[in-house]
Amino acid sequence: MTTRPLAGGNGRSRLDPEPIPRRDFLGRLAVFSSFASLAFALAGIMRLPKAAVLPSPSKKFSVKLPEAMQPGVPFVPPGRSVAIFRDEGGVYAVSTVCTHLGCIVKADAGGFKCPCHGSEFRRDGTVVRGPAPKPLPWLALAVSAGSVCTIDEGSVVESGRRARG
Amino acid sequence: MTGSSSGQSAMGRPSEGRCPDGRSALARFGENLRRAPRELRDSMLRSGSPATDRSRSAFVFSSLFLHVHSVRVHRWSLRWSTTMGLGIAAAAAFLVTLITGVLLMFYYKPYPDVAYLSMKDIHFVVPTGRFIRNIHRWAGNVMVVLVLLHMARVFYTAAYRRPREFNWVIGMLLLVVTLGLSFTGYLLPWDQLAYWAITIGANIAQSPRELTDALGITHLFDLGGIQKLLLLGSDQVGEESLIRFYLLHVMILPLALVVLLSVHMWRVRKDGGLTRPADADLRLPPITPATYPVFTEAPQRTYHLAAVVKGRTPAVGNGPENCVPAMPHLFYAEAAVFMMTVLACLALALLRDAPLKELANPAVPENPAKAPWYFLGLQELVSYSAFMGGMGIPLVVILGLLLIPYLDREIAGTGEWFGGPGGRRVVARSAFFGLGSVILLEAFAIRFGWIRQWWPESPQLLITLINPGTVLTLLYAIFSLWAIRRFDSVRAGAMALFTCFLAGFVVLTVIGVHFRGPNWDFFWSPSDWPGH
Amino acid sequence: MHSRANKILLLVSSLAALALLGSAAVRENWLQEWKRIQRSYAKALPPESRRDFRVQLRQIVVPRLRVSDRCVSCHVGMAPGEQGISGDRVLSKHPNVHHDPADIGCTVCHGGQGRATESAAAHGDVSFWPEPMIPAGQAYAGCGTCHTHLAVPSMARLEQGRALFERSDCLSCHRLDGRGGTMRTGAAGGMEGPDLSRAGAVGFDEKWYGKHVSRSGEPAAAVWRGAVRSLSQDDQQALDIFLSSRVGAPGLIEAKALFHSLGCRCCHKVGGIGGDDGPDLTRVGQLDPGRLVFDHVPGERTVQNYLAEHFRAPGKVVPGSLMPSMGLSETQIEALNLYMFSLRRSELPEAFWPKDRIRAERFGAREFASDGATLYGAFCAACHGADGRGMRYAGMPPFPAIGGRDFLSIASDSFLAVTIRSGRPGRRMPAWGSPGGPFSESEIDGIVRHIRGLGEGTPFAGDSGPRRWIVADAIRGESLYKANCSLCHGPGGEGGEGPALNNQVFLSSASDLYLLETIRGGRGGTSMTGFASGTNVSSALAPSEIEQLVAFIRTWEVKQ
Repeated sequence: MTTRPLAGGNGRSRLDPEPIPRRDFLGRLAVFSSFASLAFALAGIMRLPKAAVLPSPSKKFSVKLPEAMQPGVPFVPPGRSVAIFRDEGGVYAVSTVCTHLGCIVKADAGGFKCPCHGSEFRRDGTVVRGPAPKPLPWLALAVSAGSVCTIDEGSVVESGRRARG
Repeated sequence: MTGSSSGQSAMGRPSEGRCPDGRSALARFGENLRRAPRELRDSMLRSGSPATDRSRSAFVFSSLFLHVHSVRVHRWSLRWSTTMGLGIAAAAAFLVTLITGVLLMFYYKPYPDVAYLSMKDIHFVVPTGRFIRNIHRWAGNVMVVLVLLHMARVFYTAAYRRPREFNWVIGMLLLVVTLGLSFTGYLLPWDQLAYWAITIGANIAQSPRELTDALGITHLFDLGGIQKLLLLGSDQVGEESLIRFYLLHVMILPLALVVLLSVHMWRVRKDGGLTRPADADLRLPPITPATYPVFTEAPQRTYHLAAVVKGRTPAVGNGPENCVPAMPHLFYAEAAVFMMTVLACLALALLRDAPLKELANPAVPENPAKAPWYFLGLQELVSYSAFMGGMGIPLVVILGLLLIPYLDREIAGTGEWFGGPGGRRVVARSAFFGLGSVILLEAFAIRFGWIRQWWPESPQLLITLINPGTVLTLLYAIFSLWAIRRFDSVRAGAMALFTCFLAGFVVLTVIGVHFRGPNWDFFWSPSDWPGH
Repeated sequence: MHSRANKILLLVSSLAALALLGSAAVRENWLQEWKRIQRSYAKALPPESRRDFRVQLRQIVVPRLRVSDRCVSCHVGMAPGEQGISGDRVLSKHPNVHHDPADIGCTVCHGGQGRATESAAAHGDVSFWPEPMIPAGQAYAGCGTCHTHLAVPSMARLEQGRALFERSDCLSCHRLDGRGGTMRTGAAGGMEGPDLSRAGAVGFDEKWYGKHVSRSGEPAAAVWRGAVRSLSQDDQQALDIFLSSRVGAPGLIEAKALFHSLGCRCCHKVGGIGGDDGPDLTRVGQLDPGRLVFDHVPGERTVQNYLAEHFRAPGKVVPGSLMPSMGLSETQIEALNLYMFSLRRSELPEAFWPKDRIRAERFGAREFASDGATLYGAFCAACHGADGRGMRYAGMPPFPAIGGRDFLSIASDSFLAVTIRSGRPGRRMPAWGSPGGPFSESEIDGIVRHIRGLGEGTPFAGDSGPRRWIVADAIRGESLYKANCSLCHGPGGEGGEGPALNNQVFLSSASDLYLLETIRGGRGGTSMTGFASGTNVSSALAPSEIEQLVAFIRTWEVKQ
């Protein structure tokens, strides 16, 4: 390897690392700002795949309760995975999504039974048996005039909280 | 390596400067874990940080993404006036279109009616959806414009000459694929604009029927029908066409483009870099002290891959003087071009929304139904003769463009703007002639009509053969033959023909975009259109 | 070397790109209209609800209708489960209507662009959205998307029922469209009656009058006593018709009844029944404002404005239109606009078809009441006049008077029926009976009876002779015709100022006596003078001359 200096060069060997001259500040700033804008663009792009609104019916819905509701017999609004009970204490709604792996439980005489892996629950959602780790959650429910109740499937309340009416 | 008493020396190599001197394997494990991040960085930058000539060269050479560039770049190639960065800009526009396109695929649904609803969702509801879609539409258009400008630049600097003829051919293929990408994407929104533009396009594909019908051979060889059926998957635009166009747009054509682009850029390397005049070294100003970094000495060849090095590939025999390291000089240039293209796409996307008209309705034709803008020059010619405008003249144009490097075997003026005998003079005269003839011919046809308005019984074949498109082609051909004789140079004729073609393309496109209204009648301005 | 220039370019373009990206981010996250509105909604909520409220896109999704209505992103009070802010135009709860927006979405009734999240786009007031929202005051026109109210009577009949309802004091016990009535819950006794606003939709007991009367007669019923007047059979029927028209869409049925009283169906088809002279109105409520020509319509380029202006002066809005200016008042125009907007039959999955639409489209039930008065009002009045005196419109041959006594006394019922059934082929009168026409024989008979009623019930004077008995010199008749008749009836009998005399249906149904009497006595109230007595400009025709005229006219009749 020769070390013949090139015209216009500064006589150093090619193997020596060069000091960073101040005049390259412009270059570094330019590169930095281009990366910054690309990073900003990337951050913006990352927001796209997360859908802002889901193409499924709203989690909050209203339904009119039937007049004759026997205690212990749930009313399941069509197309919804909730079970509404009315007893002496009031009205409450239990989610029918099994807490094990998400199958929809079926109401039976004593409460609910899940057809997927056999979990059993009582009418108030507590677990009797089965691989389900947690009881069925109670959902936020409000009753307004004319036995119309509004349920929010996305909002869980503590078990035992009943609404008047 | 000093002797070791532990029997573990048989396993693994010692690290640099350290011996298996009895430190336990656990200690070594901890030490390696601590050093892992730095070792990760060093393993990525195998040639070390690019701070010396050698490491800079190795950085470029040994990176998969960067080694399409040569390590050294001639200073002439870096001048703005050489290329205006158009090739890189077109590639940048493609990259922007690709990324935004992939993002749109998260939400777009390629089925009629549902496609339109998904476009509305993207516009109104998807986070950043409106912006991304606008960018995609504008970047696509910008790419078409840049590709055309790049082709013009390559032509006018005679950069297609030996040994670069085949790269010109690949470039023409890239042009066709680019137009195909734009055209297939045009249908996807499934609105009135999309549906009827593609209906027009498909009917243009069917235009050979005009000729086969006139010759009476359609039942034997229905080229037009076959072309339309292949394009649409059905006899009219519908769900089959949409899925077919979607497949072409998101998979087949992008893959083709990436492959061709890779070959295109690789060929630039193998053909010895960008074209430059023979006296380029003499004409370059001396390197200023402000230029940094430069090679401090005449670099040796730092790679040993060249197999049988013979003839012109790789750049055997060219001096290394007047070369600067690709990193950082070429990269700054490319980054600047890339960023400016991105900026242009962003600005356009913020200023103007991409169009979305009503849902496609096969029962209600748009009037006028216009193809995408780059095909409107064709559509203008199609209005006179479907076959000539749709197939005949485009084929002649493409064939002519493809043949240019094989017909122009001269060497005078390579690498110079308007280089070659005739130079600026022939270009100026051709521009004048090209513009004049197309404007006069169009004015005549608009004012007085064409053949069938004078003799209603004329046979279709007559009009197919004699119409403004063929007349214009003939005029241009005659003019360029005159230029060949006048300047005693094929290159002069090529410049004449290309300039005329550009002039004609621009004027016909402008007429198609602005001056044609409902029923393809002539109007001075869209505000004169009847109805809405 | 350009490296420095490239660095500067890179720097400047990167910073500019960053700035543009930043402004796009600001526009996306903070400047969205619906976010601003939801934030103001949250501020207006009571504190305990404010905690649970999240600013996010809201929509009503009904997959079977392919509806994703994001109206509730701004109109938060109308979203399922949210409370409204009373008094606020945007944030209040949805008015109490029969259909819950959560079940069917918003755009089914209101139109507009449900998928949009900006107000102008969502209301459809942008280019390239063909179905803008129904104007605010006319929201009940949206019922027409799915519903087709059947057997709507003429305006007169409907108003008769309404007047009876008001005069009979029904409102003291019954609510109707938000007025009147008291209702004590829990069966507390006393005055109580159901809300009748939807009596026509849910149905009512057809023996209601008898039951009211008997309750009223019970000695123990204090409040009932004397509450119910006695009503004639006709009055009861009128009340029944009125109650059947109450479907919870105030104003809509009245608008439809008005449409049925102005004779619009003379020229326009709705739902496949009507004349052919004007465009089919079945989907006029879904007109695309982008495709209308507003050159002669002042004011905003909305469908509402276009229709209203068209009602005022059709010939101005549509050059070359045959539709005459009907001389409508502004309230009438507004009511007709309401009905026009309701004509917007959409493609619906059959599971969503209401009963009335099934009956109309599957079983051919009539949208208009089938009594003679309504049929005449809907189909005949525009041309022949509501009073049967005929109409003259500029630029058109006059339409004959058919309610005059001298006409009715010589026109038999069968002559009238044949005319209605078969029309006048080649002339403006279409064939309304079978084959090809919509009316049944009983409907035609009803119309005939109504026409008789227009002439105060003038009966047919009778004709004992055969249809054709005149034998006379037709050649002399021809010269008489040329001298006396051809100016009005045309040289070949093709008509002009007067009706066409060479029309085959006319000739084959008219008797010689009819022709004779018409020429002899003329038609009062029209240009047709009686030629048996002379005028200032012509002398009287002798009976023999009149017979010669008839014989000449008969030469145009083609033997079947």
